[in-house]
Amino acid sequence: MVALQTLIDGLILGGVFSLAAVGFSLIFGVLGIVNLTHGIFVVAGAYIALLLWSGLGLDPLVGIPVIMVVLFATGYVYQRTIIQWATERATVVASLLVTFGVALVMRNILQLIFSSDIRSISPSYSFVSFSLGDLRIDAVRVAGLTTSLVLLTVLTLFLSRTSFGRMIRATAQQPLAAGLSGINVPHVYGLTFALGAAFAGASGAVIGIVAPFSPATEAIWTLNAFVVVVLGGVGSPAGALLGGLLLGVINTMTAQYIGPSFTNATMFLVLVLMLLVRPQGLMGNAFGESR
Amino acid sequence: MRPLSLKPLLALVVGVAAVAVFTGLPAILPPFYIRVLQVFFFSAGLALSWGLLGGFAGYWSFGHTAFIGIGGFTAALVSSHLLGGGGTGWGMVVTVGAGGLVAALFALVLAYPLLRLRGIYFAIAMLGVGEVFSELSSSIDWIGGGLGLTLPAGTDLDIAPEVFYYYVFLVLMVAILLISAATKLSRFGYGLMSIREDEDTARMLGVPTERYKIQAFVLSAFLVGTLGAVYAYSLGYFSTPSLFRVDFSLNMIVHNMIGGIGTIAGPVIGAAIMVFLTNVVLGSFLSVHLLLTGALVVLIVLLAPTGLLGLAARLWQRDPPEEEPTSPTRERERRLTNEPAE
Amino acid sequence: MAITRRQVLRTTGSGLIAAAAARYLPAGSAHAQAGAKTLVFGGSIPMSGASAETGQNVLFGYRAAIKKINEDLGGVKIGNETYKLDVKMFDDASDPSRATTLIQRQVDEGINYFLGSFGSNIVLPSCAITERARRPMVQAGAGSDLVFTQKRKYVFGVFPRASLQFETSADFLKSLTPAVKRVAFIYTNDAFSKFQAEGGKKALEDKGMSVADMIQLPAQVSDVSTVLSSIRANPPDVLICCVHDDAAILIARQMVSTGTNVNLLYQTLGPQTEAYRQALGNYANGVVTQAYWSEGAAFKGSYFGTAKDFADYYRKNFDRPLTYHMASGAACILAYVEAMKNAGSIAPEDVRDALAKLDFKCFYGHIRFTADGDGDPKLLGPLIVQNQSGKVEVVFPEEAAAAKAVYPVPSWKDRA
Repeated sequence: MVALQTLIDGLILGGVFSLAAVGFSLIFGVLGIVNLTHGIFVVAGAYIALLLWSGLGLDPLVGIPVIMVVLFATGYVYQRTIIQWATERATVVASLLVTFGVALVMRNILQLIFSSDIRSISPSYSFVSFSLGDLRIDAVRVAGLTTSLVLLTVLTLFLSRTSFGRMIRATAQQPLAAGLSGINVPHVYGLTFALGAAFAGASGAVIGIVAPFSPATEAIWTLNAFVVVVLGGVGSPAGALLGGLLLGVINTMTAQYIGPSFTNATMFLVLVLMLLVRPQGLMGNAFGESR
Repeated sequence: MRPLSLKPLLALVVGVAAVAVFTGLPAILPPFYIRVLQVFFFSAGLALSWGLLGGFAGYWSFGHTAFIGIGGFTAALVSSHLLGGGGTGWGMVVTVGAGGLVAALFALVLAYPLLRLRGIYFAIAMLGVGEVFSELSSSIDWIGGGLGLTLPAGTDLDIAPEVFYYYVFLVLMVAILLISAATKLSRFGYGLMSIREDEDTARMLGVPTERYKIQAFVLSAFLVGTLGAVYAYSLGYFSTPSLFRVDFSLNMIVHNMIGGIGTIAGPVIGAAIMVFLTNVVLGSFLSVHLLLTGALVVLIVLLAPTGLLGLAARLWQRDPPEEEPTSPTRERERRLTNEPAE
Repeated sequence: MAITRRQVLRTTGSGLIAAAAARYLPAGSAHAQAGAKTLVFGGSIPMSGASAETGQNVLFGYRAAIKKINEDLGGVKIGNETYKLDVKMFDDASDPSRATTLIQRQVDEGINYFLGSFGSNIVLPSCAITERARRPMVQAGAGSDLVFTQKRKYVFGVFPRASLQFETSADFLKSLTPAVKRVAFIYTNDAFSKFQAEGGKKALEDKGMSVADMIQLPAQVSDVSTVLSSIRANPPDVLICCVHDDAAILIARQMVSTGTNVNLLYQTLGPQTEAYRQALGNYANGVVTQAYWSEGAAFKGSYFGTAKDFADYYRKNFDRPLTYHMASGAACILAYVEAMKNAGSIAPEDVRDALAKLDFKCFYGHIRFTADGDGDPKLLGPLIVQNQSGKVEVVFPEEAAAAKAVYPVPSWKDRA
């Protein structure tokens, strides 16, 4: 029973991790950019959800489309300007430094606007739980998990079924060939980045209802995304889902059987071991030619 | 290649003059600036050590703060368990040396499996390594990073602590500078740079890439561990978040990129600029210094993508100095991220 | 929130900085008026991270005391001279290297009186510098024992050291009926929380209660579902959390949403803050915490008058919700000013000696330091407070209590 409860806790937690990492994974897979601004998108999503909730009384989960639109636009502009300039002038790796710099700027701006006080969003269902036999499951996390699954499914269908999804995949595999076939590669890069940002923002709404946040929490979400991507594989929603669920289960199992203070240590230990054993992640790189 | 280059001579003269100036500075500078320079020497030493592996061999580590932590914790544990809380004077040489050696030892164990990873995968693995050590140092009670550890004063001489650590860090930085320069000019250094340009070709041509990488990694870890141990001394008391800081890892990269990756002067210049800006220019700001620092980093990447040395070389338009990061580096960096070649 | 490079440079850069400069920069001479000399208090606070909210609260306390003294009392007369006060803070970003370097700058600039930061890994290296420079530091931030047990002469704290903070709490738990038998601690892996939890364990065991569990969490907590399952499996009478604000909210929320009930939840940090009450709503009722000050307390003295007067003055002039940390911050300033008056001098050494001898009553309570420099645990120890129907009520010690403690508290379901 304890093991089952631990497993369920882990899966529920993992659903949130998955959604929070899929944007990072997509951007990394298609553009090859390690986006250190990722956590900022997540936290920004949470703050927008907070504004919608406190200002308009909009439920954070209902507000997700609004958040996604805002972050989509932001992400597009950001990629087409700063990141594109950086990759043109310097290298893709230099974009790492640029995103680091922007993350500092943005964290500071969030701090100036919202202060560094801890915030949380408490819709009516945040405190509800239900029992299945001896199992105890809290509703808000289930809502988070469900939202994650829905959004990840939408993204999967989007990438596999739409012509735009095909363009993204083509660009990820062979930018040059894609360009020659008439795809506007910079535009696709911009849109992919925007998509990644939008999903990060959506996860922020979910995180906002399950955990307290402040501008400084952005770093944790960037780190978590690293681990999820390494566990699951790059570029695909399925990889992110698998990686996220695994991370969640590792987290709770460690807390149960090794000790709660070792959760972060195990998480990163698994990251390192995974890299050594299977660097392309369990699901491999979604965009062909793994290393 | 001119048969008789003046550059090494020039570098020597400038170097000796600089050391002479820095040696004399504490006599006239107020303590604040002594501390700023101390942070500068520390940061430059870190950036140079990172560059041995990241700059020369192209293996970017995102987790070098692990070795700062290992160095510092080892020094404090040796002091409290083996020296009975001692570790002043020659004792400090022992503890700091132990810090460097244990860091090198860990690097040796990690080197073989980790260095099989390339590019971004190595970078992420090192990030993970940094976090693992960080978490373990605070979770394992025997290590004691949760409650924190104390170290005695480094010296019992009648000298202000900031001046003492100023000189210790100065000596270390100069030593690391010389090690870096010697490495760069040696067969070992050329081997590392060949790994950066094209590891597979290098191995085919007979460069012992495996051994060179491990040597560079261990050397880098030893130097960072040594610096970390001294840094721990300079704090006197530290806990896990004092030494295991992601921003240490990132700053090493930032300083290299700002000055010019793969160069000797670059990391020093990068560290000098950033330390001066963050501590002196933006020091008294209560709440906007992160914003300004970040904006500056972005600006530098956009305006001087090959680092300031690269920028200087382009501005002067003379024959590019041999230190300018060259295009094969870019080639290598593109491969780092799996981008197909054009 | 789109930023392009130009915006960063122009709009955001100049606009925000200018706006921020007015609000956030340590305005060195804003209060200094022609004719009056100014006493400047230096130090750092963290602007982000675990202690940021508390840091801001304490900063507002400093500001309240300074505003009161400068504007309402016309400055402070020491010897034959009247002085205005000013505070000059920088962000240490929780980075000891930055903290020490910039503290040194303030020492060099001739700042003679310091207020502390948060977290012993910042405060200890910083106060090593101020100690060496023989400048006093009165702080409301780092309670770790090490700050006070290393024979420093110039460092004072308005709280008792962490390991002594549980004496009152142990008496409180002892006073409850039905008797508290089993207690569990949850604490995060940082020096302050760990010292506090270990001190708490000892204090409780000395009073005959058994500590069933000492659950250690990582310094950064993202989930406690597993910990709570084990608590549900074997619930203690009282669950004590020695964690910072954000983890306190997380634990409480997860306890509610998983229906993890104990007879009493006691969280040392967190429930005081506005964020906590917003996050938990009615569920905050019944949660017990310690407060080093309460506006209902019967303390009074010069400067502000009664505790209630301080609260009124603060609310009239500042928007940030009042917590006991504001009072503690203001108390640091009052302690300095009172010591200076007693010494009749502003020389740092004289002020230090006067601080060590300080024995005065104000809205905050009876301020006296132990020989080690921390707050006298009998006089400056915490009050035990409980959220009752949306109000913070002092429930222990009895002489200060305004309400009776609710124990055992109703289950979460009945609190909604």
